[in-house]
Amino acid sequence: MKTLTMLALFVFAATAGCFAQGPTPGDLGASPQAVGDAGVAWYTTRETAIAEAERSNRPIFFMAAAATCNGISGVF
Amino acid sequence: MVRSLLNGRFENTAFCLLAPDGKERLSRSGRAPEHSFSRRGPRSNSAEAEGVTVAAMEKVARKYEARGDASETVVQDFHSFRQALNVASGDQRLLLFVAAPQKDLASTARTLAPVMVDPRIIGRFHVDLIGDKGDEKWMDMVSDAEPSFGPSIYIIQSDKFGQTGTALKQLPANTNGDQIKSALLAANKTFASQEQRKVYSQHVSDGRRQGVYFEGGVEYGEDRDGDGKIDRRRGGGNGRRSGKR
Repeated sequence: MKTLTMLALFVFAATAGCFAQGPTPGDLGASPQAVGDAGVAWYTTRETAIAEAERSNRPIFFMAAAATCNGISGVF
Repeated sequence: MVRSLLNGRFENTAFCLLAPDGKERLSRSGRAPEHSFSRRGPRSNSAEAEGVTVAAMEKVARKYEARGDASETVVQDFHSFRQALNVASGDQRLLLFVAAPQKDLASTARTLAPVMVDPRIIGRFHVDLIGDKGDEKWMDMVSDAEPSFGPSIYIIQSDKFGQTGTALKQLPANTNGDQIKSALLAANKTFASQEQRKVYSQHVSDGRRQGVYFEGGVEYGEDRDGDGKIDRRRGGGNGRRSGKR
């Protein structure tokens, strides 16, 4: 089985997100991606991401963000 | 780690390309991919920014020859079940959750590895595994789960705000890969047909009205001046500190 060319690591940063620089919540709509379709296959701990990156010799796309908007959960 | 990537600041996002050791930086770091990966800085539209980002990532990836079999991939995991539920809700993906004795987790992970990289499965689910001593409270957050049935694999749908969930399917932890795959595909098909994409603005509005609050590990907000303290916003405060948790 062929391996992917880059691995994605997601780190959770408990920031305000939508209240920072950039668009406000009122400016943001829905993701254009259909529910159930494939998205990024994230690694969500640093340990598992590095273990997989070293195993497969792939570089890491690192992203830090929060799955909250000023404490309101369930949204990126 | 976020501060180290943003010159001591703490902002709402951070991006960087790293070598497989997780230490060596292969790009500049910044709060948007196109800021980090391109020498020419921000682009005027999202399509151009996306193109720049992809091109930069491909250029870096070409320097590394991937090795190993994808079917032996390390399986995704979370630091906590609570976090897994919230992220699954935010991404609107189903959560594959394994609760089994620590000694059996490695075996289950080996079974899951080829399942999770199947082209019909990859990128469509999140995965969380817990052993004997972690997240005992997960049962309080999930309805329709029967832990008394023994070590199990659950397919869980998070609620709107990612603080509780419902077990759509429960399988023994020693279920074979083909059966797990079938269960995931069936659950995702139903989920996709019933779930509507969240509208960000409406979600936040509903959350405010309902007093939703997710207790984070650190204080909410940004430290854009890099003084080590979360900046105060106009109007006072960085967020609500009460409400539904």
